[in-house]
Amino acid sequence: MGSLALATILVAAALAASMLSVELGISVALIELSLGVVIGNALDVTTPEWLVFLAGFAGILLTFLAGAEVDVPQLRREWRASLALGLVSFAAPFLAAMAFAYWGLGWTGDASKIAGIALSTTSLAVVYAVLVETGLNRTAIGQRIMAATFVTDLGTVAALSVLFVTPSLWIVPFAGVSVALIVGLPKLAPWFFARFGDRVIEPEIKLAFAGLLLLMWLGERAASHAVLPAFVLGLALSSHYASHRREQERLRVVAFAFLTPLFFLRGGMSVSLGALGANLGVLVLLFAAKMLPKLAGVYPLARRYCAPHAPFTTLLMSTGLTFGTISSLYGLSAGLIDETQFSLLVAVVVLSAVVPTVIAQRLFQPDAAEEARREAAAARRPALRGGEGA
Amino acid sequence: MPFRHLLVAVDGSEASERALQKGLELARLLNASVTALAVEGPLPAYAATIGEVEEVRREKDAFFGRLADEVRARARAAGVEIEVEVRPGHAAELISRVAAERGADLIVIGHRGHFLRDHLLGSTADRVAEHAACPVMIVR
Repeated sequence: MGSLALATILVAAALAASMLSVELGISVALIELSLGVVIGNALDVTTPEWLVFLAGFAGILLTFLAGAEVDVPQLRREWRASLALGLVSFAAPFLAAMAFAYWGLGWTGDASKIAGIALSTTSLAVVYAVLVETGLNRTAIGQRIMAATFVTDLGTVAALSVLFVTPSLWIVPFAGVSVALIVGLPKLAPWFFARFGDRVIEPEIKLAFAGLLLLMWLGERAASHAVLPAFVLGLALSSHYASHRREQERLRVVAFAFLTPLFFLRGGMSVSLGALGANLGVLVLLFAAKMLPKLAGVYPLARRYCAPHAPFTTLLMSTGLTFGTISSLYGLSAGLIDETQFSLLVAVVVLSAVVPTVIAQRLFQPDAAEEARREAAAARRPALRGGEGA
Repeated sequence: MPFRHLLVAVDGSEASERALQKGLELARLLNASVTALAVEGPLPAYAATIGEVEEVRREKDAFFGRLADEVRARARAAGVEIEVEVRPGHAAELISRVAAERGADLIVIGHRGHFLRDHLLGSTADRVAEHAACPVMIVR
């Protein structure tokens, strides 16, 4: 199939996904991924280089956006309580899924690492949507869950960037430029955006894209992956974006209109339904390899830090979507996993976006107003005790 | 038995426009008060980015803000006392619950909303008619 024909089909699919998303109330990304599966399995398509490149860039852009969307003041308030929760939420499924893939399924070392990373994630966006919808994002417990989710994802992107590094001199410029951008861009941004921003030719978006492409190029030369510096760069710029909402909105428009649909469609196109059908048992086992360590690892800490909503917290921390797909697609593009392994990992990632969310919402969802009253009463208690003592 | 308090479900669709019109006419005739309820649908489930959720939330806030203003203006023009509520949740369940909470003795609702799921899964009006504790007037 020619490039123009494929591009037309993909953009038509992206349009259909947007319309279905509005009508059905389901995330556009999930619909794009599903339509990608249909296109990849119904048509005889070989993924062209331009699509691999654009999807790779979109993955980095998604990571940057995820960093830029972090509420830093909230993170500062909650980081101590969230650190243990977030680290265990990353490490338990990462180690368990990696070990299971290596010893249980006989995957190669690199493929097992990709499995561990892809299944270690917690979805910031899925968690955020549930918390906002219920009003729990305004409570301490909601903010703690968001902060813990950030810690988990930081673990995921760090693992993806670090675990595949081959020692070479290219690591020096990669690390140096990463630090320079992370430190320098937030300082440069106010001047640059004041001088060149708010124009239809969008110099500020081009600046962000130039920085991300530079990181991608140096990361590739260093046999690493630019997700960690891209995520931290987004985080470093998050305060700037928080006070310049229109800039963030325009960046989202560019990303959502063209780039991220190609990422999810390309991801779906590489999912083989035949391979999934032939490996349903493995799919179930991999899903268990993500969920069981998450549940076993997070629940005891959630009882300590998020009582009385430990089951709800644990289930939300077990969700995954974007970083799981990014990690799997990186593994496929770099030749670390084959199409069957990719199909299994993406299917588990999608299942983990849906199953724990549905259970958490149906069975364990706290009442936000009641939770706010409970927290207010708990905050008053020490003061009352202090008053009694005096 | 005269109706004293009406609950009108509004969502900006043509059918809900007609329901609001009939509800206001009826309220004026009966000298009844009205609660207009707009139910915010859910945010996109299983989102991939916080940006998607935030933008949808912002669009919803803007849409329902405009809708509430329009409904108040229509009621003022009709000389009817009205209270407008915008609440998130499941439409059929929430309409029945708020009607009970507000002591509404009649629910007025359009026969079909503007989302595809209303056409695919049966309308909200059907489900309200089945579950509500008070009479329901479905406007075509």
